[in-house]
Amino acid sequence: MQGYIYPNEFELQWSLLIVLYPYITGLVAGAFILASLERVFNVKEVQPTYRLSLLTALAFLLVATLPLLAHLGHPERSYEIFMTPNRQSAMAMFGFVYAWYLMVVLLVEIWFDYRKDMVAWYRDSKGFKRWLYYALTLGSTDISEKALRFDDSAGRWITIIGIPSAFLLHGYVGFIFGSVKANPWWSSVLMPVVFLFSAIVSGIALVLLLYMITTLFRWRPINMACLDKLAQFLFYALVVDFSLEMLDFLHRLYESEESIEILSQMIQSRLFLSLIVLQILLGTVIPLVTLGLFSPGLKRGGFVKVRPEAKQLVYLACAVLIQIGIFSIRWNVVIGGQLFSKSLRGLTVYKVEFLGIEGLAMTLGLLFLPFVILWILVKVLPPWTDQEVGRLAKATG
Amino acid sequence: MPEQVPRLLAVFLTASVALVIARSLLVPDTFGDIGHYRAAATDSVVAHQKKYAGHQECALCHGQIQEMRLAGNHRGVRCEVCHGPAANHVSNPLEVKPPAPQDREFCTLCHEYNASRPTGFPQIDPADHNPHVPCIACHEPHAPEPPGMPGDCSACHGQIARQKAVSHHSAVPCTTCHQTPDEHKVNPRSVRPSKPTERDFCGACHAQERLAGIPQIDLTAHNPAYLCWQCHYPHYPGTS
Ligand code: HEC
Ligand code: HEC
Ligand code: HEC
Ligand code: HEC
Ligand code: HEC
Ligand code: HEC
Ligand code: HEC
Ligand code: HEC
Repeated sequence: MQGYIYPNEFELQWSLLIVLYPYITGLVAGAFILASLERVFNVKEVQPTYRLSLLTALAFLLVATLPLLAHLGHPERSYEIFMTPNRQSAMAMFGFVYAWYLMVVLLVEIWFDYRKDMVAWYRDSKGFKRWLYYALTLGSTDISEKALRFDDSAGRWITIIGIPSAFLLHGYVGFIFGSVKANPWWSSVLMPVVFLFSAIVSGIALVLLLYMITTLFRWRPINMACLDKLAQFLFYALVVDFSLEMLDFLHRLYESEESIEILSQMIQSRLFLSLIVLQILLGTVIPLVTLGLFSPGLKRGGFVKVRPEAKQLVYLACAVLIQIGIFSIRWNVVIGGQLFSKSLRGLTVYKVEFLGIEGLAMTLGLLFLPFVILWILVKVLPPWTDQEVGRLAKATG
Repeated sequence: MPEQVPRLLAVFLTASVALVIARSLLVPDTFGDIGHYRAAATDSVVAHQKKYAGHQECALCHGQIQEMRLAGNHRGVRCEVCHGPAANHVSNPLEVKPPAPQDREFCTLCHEYNASRPTGFPQIDPADHNPHVPCIACHEPHAPEPPGMPGDCSACHGQIARQKAVSHHSAVPCTTCHQTPDEHKVNPRSVRPSKPTERDFCGACHAQERLAGIPQIDLTAHNPAYLCWQCHYPHYPGTS
């Protein structure tokens, strides 16, 4: 503690779990928007990651609400927000945004995309698996040319609906913070936009990581064209994200509201590590410069030409740094917004507990859970294009 | 229509119907009658056992205290704030006695200095403010007085007062030697009492034959070069 704080500001109400929540939702929105790129804008290079992005989005979406439920502490009451919708509450409305996104966008898109394969798997397998795939196809086993063409165009339409939905999903999270008028660190109309772009950055970086790791473990060669394209998108998204953040920063500086003094004090003391070092330096500037030099973002083939293996390592490092940076952004927003007193006269401290429902262990568990779900999803619905190519070749040949 | 559509629609329809059924089963009957909550909740609240009686009830039997409170500085602090929920006491006054908080910690809940309290709210620092003595020894809890002007010089000049009280000058009031404007007690440093300045002042009592019982000296002979208080401490005069 430092200076004067109100008695009810001593303990932070929004803990580590609330940091996790926008982080995970951001990954969902980001992964989905990456998938949409391939679909709507027909970016052929990133095609190997299309399905992986969709499954990633789904795995993380299934976990997205868990931090909130754990934080609120009464998961058994959560259904009530669907039973008695409250239009006055942004938080309650999120339940519907979430349900819409899960049921109407993500599941249906995955269903249309996988239907052909599910039918094939259903026909190829026996016993329980056969029934599982049959159930998953909902009994729709027609894979005639006409039916497949319908799948494709339906999928495209859903993606088109899906993009604004993904924007809504994560924009909403920014909205929740941006609309807290009483908190000068949060209250900003730019908040949803900044959240959105940081979401895209984190989603692309995550899919890039997952793509590299899964290919590595399957002993397949990495598709360098795909990786370069991902890195290129990552670079562009990072540029926009960083400019928006700087815009927000300059805007605050220029406005110089009465809160500016305590906020700059907070940045210099409490948030120095997480904001200056982790978020800006390690999480943004270094990846930005590195990607600018190595990725084809600014110049075809990149300014610095190295062997593909080296380049892969560079991308890997950037993606990891970016994840750390984005997590720091969430931390700085959520925790930062509670570290200074609303009297603008003092700063408090936040100590993360280890065990307990809002502790570090819980957070790590929730962070790990989506990967378990993803692993199961990948087992049931393999997203690999190379295998598929092989199997299709076998089927037709 | 491609076969996918009716099958998907069937799933959504089932989900919607399930939602509608769940709603009709789970949403309480009176939900939304008045506002975004179960209207019957008010009845269940009414059905709770009453714990607080309200201060008007107390006045029925403790009229004097109520009058005193309403006229005093605690007029905004209701009886049960200090005495706790006392509905049981009202229905059974002789059996159930509400507690009366007598320790200092209780009053400091509201009166301990804390910057977040509204400006002007009477606050004290319990470590400095007459420590170890119960607050109610000096303040009547039902009508506490604001800081009045201390009547006696001893409130501030304790050392001198105690010394003088056991000295030969115990019978001589402070104000005989110090003309003290009342304002001195409020602004002691800016408004100062007078102090004797010449030997004649002491002589008024000690050099007059006629004042019986007062030790006499000869002003002209008794160490005339000095002021009396250079040798005799006026608040504890001695002859050694
Ligand atoms: C029906 C009359 C009645 C009402 C109403 C009533 N009291 Fe009393 N109260 C009494 C009597 C009788 C006593 C006991 C006096 C005694 O034992 O000396 C008493 C005693 C007390 C005492 C002293 C307890 C003690 O240990 O000495 C307190 C405090 C008190 N009442 C508070 C309240 C408050 C607060 C209310 C309002 C919520 C209230 N009373 C309402 C009749 C009443
Ligand atoms: C600021 C806190 C406070 C409030 C408000 C307050 N009391 Fe008390 N009351 C006390 C304390 C402290 C004592 C104990 C006094 C003592 O032991 O000398 C006490 C003692 C009493 C007693 C028993 C002793 C006596 O003086 O007769 C009664 C009866 C009582 N209060 C009734 C009431 C009633 C009725 C009200 C509302 C009109 C009320 N009090 C409001 C603090 C409070
Ligand atoms: C529930 C909070 C509360 C408690 C407990 C409480 N008081 Fe008070 N007190 C007040 C309020 C409110 C006032 C009126 C302040 C005003 O007039 O602005 C007040 C006024 C006073 C004053 C008058 C000071 C002035 O300058 O006007 C004194 C003295 C006092 N209380 C003493 C006590 C004592 C002694 C106790 C413990 C028996 C006590 N209070 C318990 C709330 C409380
Ligand atoms: C030895 C007697 C004594 C005791 C014990 C005592 N006070 Fe006082 N209190 C006074 C006097 C005298 C004043 C007025 C002079 C002053 O301000 O110091 C006063 C003033 C106050 C004031 C008004 C201060 C202001 O700035 O308006 C409050 C409030 C108060 N007391 C509360 C308490 C509380 C609470 C306790 C118990 C923790 C307590 N007193 C104990 C004698 C006492
Ligand atoms: C509110 C507290 C307070 C009260 C009550 C009070 N005084 Fe003082 N008095 C002071 C303070 C404080 C000083 C200044 C001491 C200093 O400056 O060293 C002072 C100074 C004096 C002085 C010395 C003036 C000087 O110029 O050196 C005299 C004499 C005096 N007081 C007499 C009295 C008498 C007689 C009374 C009672 C009628 C009285 N005081 C009541 C607080 C008080
Ligand atoms: C017999 C006359 C007499 C009486 C009675 C008397 N004083 Fe004095 N007082 C003096 C004289 C004389 C001085 C010294 C002036 C000097 O040194 O300049 C003095 C000085 C003081 C001083 C300032 C110097 C010091 O010692 O701190 C204070 C304060 C004071 N008196 C307070 C009191 C108070 C309070 C009382 C009552 C309890 C009191 N006096 C009673 C005569 C008296
Ligand atoms: C209002 C009258 C009065 C004034 C003025 C007065 N005195 Fe006294 N003084 C007395 C009385 C009465 C006694 C004797 C009390 C007794 O019998 O013990 C006394 C006793 C004494 C004694 C005697 C001590 C002893 O051992 O017998 C001394 C010394 C003394 N005063 C000094 C002074 C000085 C110095 C002053 C001036 C600052 C002074 N007095 C002002 C009334 C006064
Ligand atoms: C130089 C120091 C000195 C000064 C100045 C002084 N005295 Fe004394 N006074 C003494 C001494 C020593 C004694 C005791 C010896 C004695 O009885 O002569 C004494 C004794 C007294 C006695 C006691 C006489 C008795 O019969 O018991 C009084 C009364 C007294 N002085 C008053 C005064 C007064 C009034 C003044 C100022 C006009 C004063 N003194 C100035 C030193 C002094």
